[in-house]
Amino acid sequence: METARWRDTINLDDLWEGDMTAVTVDGEAVLLVNVDGTVRAYSNRCPHQASALDEGDLDGETLTCAKHLWEFNAVTGCGVNPDDARLTSYGCQVGDNGTIYVDIGR
Amino acid sequence: MRKPRIVIVGGGAGSAAALAELRKQGFDGHLTLVSAESVVPYERPPLSKDFLLGTSGPVPFKDAAWYEQESVELLLGSRATRLDLAARTVTLSGGTVLGYDQLLLATGVRPRVLPGLDADGVCYLRTGEDAAALRERMTAAGHVAVLGGGFIGCEVAAAAIRLGKRATILEALPTLLHRVLGPELGDVVAGIHRDKGVDVRTGQQVLGVGPRPGGGVRLNTAAGDIDADVLVVGVGTVPSTELAEQAGLPTGNGIEVDACFATAAPGVYAIGDVAAQQLAGHGRRVRVEHHDTAVRHGRVAARNVLGRREPFGDVHWFWSDQFEHTISSAGLLADVGGAGPLIIRGSLEQRSFSAFSLDGNRVRAAISLNRPRDVLDVRRLIARDHSATAGQLRDESVPLKRLAAPAVAAT
Repeated sequence: METARWRDTINLDDLWEGDMTAVTVDGEAVLLVNVDGTVRAYSNRCPHQASALDEGDLDGETLTCAKHLWEFNAVTGCGVNPDDARLTSYGCQVGDNGTIYVDIGR
Repeated sequence: MRKPRIVIVGGGAGSAAALAELRKQGFDGHLTLVSAESVVPYERPPLSKDFLLGTSGPVPFKDAAWYEQESVELLLGSRATRLDLAARTVTLSGGTVLGYDQLLLATGVRPRVLPGLDADGVCYLRTGEDAAALRERMTAAGHVAVLGGGFIGCEVAAAAIRLGKRATILEALPTLLHRVLGPELGDVVAGIHRDKGVDVRTGQQVLGVGPRPGGGVRLNTAAGDIDADVLVVGVGTVPSTELAEQAGLPTGNGIEVDACFATAAPGVYAIGDVAAQQLAGHGRRVRVEHHDTAVRHGRVAARNVLGRREPFGDVHWFWSDQFEHTISSAGLLADVGGAGPLIIRGSLEQRSFSAFSLDGNRVRAAISLNRPRDVLDVRRLIARDHSATAGQLRDESVPLKRLAAPAVAAT
């Protein structure tokens, strides 16, 4: 069985509620979002044309890619418009000291 | 009890969005899509970009199986030839007569065809079939000429260069994208194309086009002849209003609808590129030929068809990708064309800027080169209360988001 490979990234203190930021994990561009205290990690590439999602906008639960306005639910990763798209989701947890750990699955 | 039937005429993305929304809203009556094209609705934006490069195939809006799952009757390869408003019927090219309870007209636009330009090698670009034919010709071509320096022309020229071809743009106006961007910003786009090797010839009148001996086309201009293997004509469009006109619906520049997409006839609506819409806050009917608008029309119109009175209030938005550059825009620049100079944030020289149109203290529209984020912010500003000065818009240190009025605190 594969062991999860958690990597420490930034601290929750540096990712305010309503904020998102891009980090690099094992060479992959990862997007961290904080929606009302819920932290999620996704590939920082829009499923449409791989544009960097951190250049877009996070408004409530809606994450909008700036390039072509594709919209996603930032908590579930599901597409809103179009609704058949989906963000690539990564394992993500916040440690007791506030460190955000991400596992990109390899 | 008899189930109601909604018929949609026209097979673009707006129609597909309307169908999806109708089912999402729980409409369980009959749904019929009539399209002159032989395939289910697909995305047109890639046709002038990745599709020509061969890096994208056709991209259906919803795959064919979806229509079956959702019990949507597809009448493809059928043209609606007659609309009887009193009898509530549409007659199709094959003679079939379809009754409807509600009708959504999404007949779109077609390329404006220039008379006298019908040599072999002259291409137009609108449909997937057009794009497939053009891609085949472009692959075999050495020199691709484009008539018209609008979005289609610019995107096709960029694709030609990326395919390793020679590319020439001929435009009658003084610069590229002149109508949208004006002379100063249009020059920036012309500079981008020239730097990539496109032979940009502005202020050029094409006097005629004929066959070139040995194949291809010969363009006759005041500055001499230009030979090319293929000529792409992108000189605007004509709204396809024939069906509406024949039925006696008001059509000026498009099928006239109110803010809820209703035409003058009960139960008949129009959306997308063909709809000339009366919207609050605009001094004229608005007809927009952009993908995002058509899709948003489809969604909102679907809810109106189902009986809600929901005026269209989405902010218009579009983009164009040319080489590694992205042009994007929010709002309607044309509304404020004469209202004063555009306010620039960023640098024209560095090809990274946003141009704002300010009306009093309100931002009405923005168009940007390589700053989609600015446009995203402006899109949100336009939709809400805000106040901006020219100085703030110019000043990079002022986040555009901050120009929004604070939400009124609940009391």
